[in-house]
Formats: sequence, structure tokens, C-alpha cells
Amino acid sequence: MPVILVLDDSATMVMSLSHILKGAGYEVETGMNGREGINKLGEGIKPSVILTDLNMPELDGIGFIKEARKIASTRFTPIIVLTTESGGRKRDEARAAGASGWLTKPAEPNQLLAVVKQLCPAK
Amino acid sequence: MADTTEANERLVCAILAEQVSTLRDRMDASAAFDLLWRTTALLSWLSGLLGDLSRHSASTNPVLERERAEAIAEVAEIRGELDRLAFSQAQRQDFARQIADCVVTALERMAVAEMPAGTSFSSGDLAALYVSDDQRKLHDAVVQRMGC
Repeated sequence: MPVILVLDDSATMVMSLSHILKGAGYEVETGMNGREGINKLGEGIKPSVILTDLNMPELDGIGFIKEARKIASTRFTPIIVLTTESGGRKRDEARAAGASGWLTKPAEPNQLLAVVKQLCPAK
Repeated sequence: MADTTEANERLVCAILAEQVSTLRDRMDASAAFDLLWRTTALLSWLSGLLGDLSRHSASTNPVLERERAEAIAEVAEIRGELDRLAFSQAQRQDFARQIADCVVTALERMAVAEMPAGTSFSSGDLAALYVSDDQRKLHDAVVQRMGC
């Protein structure tokens, strides 16, 4: 089963995203900030797709993407930014850090699944 | 006199920061979301059960068969709606929490700033705390309304 790593500092968002992704046949790993995400990768988790918020404590989304791109196993893993930020400057910053795509909240479950399935079909 | 006013303003900011912070912590609706997701999981299980019962039933009543199919379709539709509702509410709650974070940070900074009253925190300082375009649009609308 493909693994999706979900990073968001909102416990409700993490639960909500996990529920939707698990219902669509994915295994989900979660973290409440970028540091926890990096720790998960350090533990050997190999996600097929990473969904991350931008504004998180300790290590934010941009910082996480930069660090994840330095790790061999996630150098080319699709990283989708899921955030309330829709501004061009933040988007450029995330893209420069290595983000693969962008989904602005509020998003629909179908929008989210369409993006994830395109990158990694559930088995 | 000016010092007293300034001290009072700082006190008010500190109290407001604490109150908004408490309000933010009370926004947690995890129990409601948990119940929503348990409901969708139950609906999914019931839908599967209906299918299994039909497959293992010796009876081939066409009316029952039609009603079973209708029930499964209805369950699937409600489940989809509940998923959408939970996801949209989760995002809404997250956004409200971020706005509250921003207000708390601003008030906390105003409560400790060692500057003359009224100059410790500008609208530009506030704008630097925003995490969404919605907040920036609201900010711009107020600035325009105030003629600044």
C-alpha cells in the first residue's frame, strides 16, 4: 500500500486528511511540523507522496522541503503544499525550495484525491 | 499620567491576549470530527454488510434486492457528503485558529513593547504575521476604509 506523509500543525487537519487518504486506500504517516516530518524520514519511512502545510512551528513547510530534498530517498518524491496561502511570493518560495505542487485551502476531498492519485495511484 | 495610560494599555493587551488564547484553545472540535468519521466508517461497514447478506441469502426477492441497492447508493452518497463536511469544517477551524494565533501574537507583542503608547505595533507589523490571502484582503479593506 502506498504511503503518504501528512504534515500539519492542526490535529484536526491531520485527522481529516488521514481519514480521506486511508478511505482511498493509502497508508498514512503523520507529523505536526516539519521537524517531525524529517524525523519520520530518518526512521526510514519512504512516502510515495508528501502533503505539507506551510505555517508550522519548529520547522515550517519551506524548511521541511529544503531538508527533505537533501535526503536521497526523498530527493524526487512529490511534495504537495496544502495551505491557506495562495500568494505568488510564497508559492515561488515553495517551488524554489523544491515543492512539486500546490493546493489552496479550502480544498475539496475530491480535489485532494485527484492530485494524490495522479502522482501515486492507490493499489 | 502618560506612563499610567501606557501601563494600562499594556495590561489590557495582556488580558486580551490571554482571553483570545483561551478562546483559541476552546476551538478544538476533535470529538465532533471523531464522531463524524466513526459515522462514515459505520456507514461503510453497513453498506458492505448489506451486500454480504444479499449474496448469502437464498431468497431472490426483487423488491428486497431493489431496496438493498437503493440503500447502498444512499449510504454512499451520505458518506461522501459527511466526508466533504468534515474536511471543509476542519479547514475552516484551522483557518479560524490561525487568525486567533495572529491576534494573540499581536496583542502579546503590544503588551510587552517598551515604546510610547500607540507606536508599539503598526498595521505593517500585524500584516507580517498573516498566513493567508484572506487575512491580507481583510487587512487591506480595513486600511482603505480607515483612509490610511
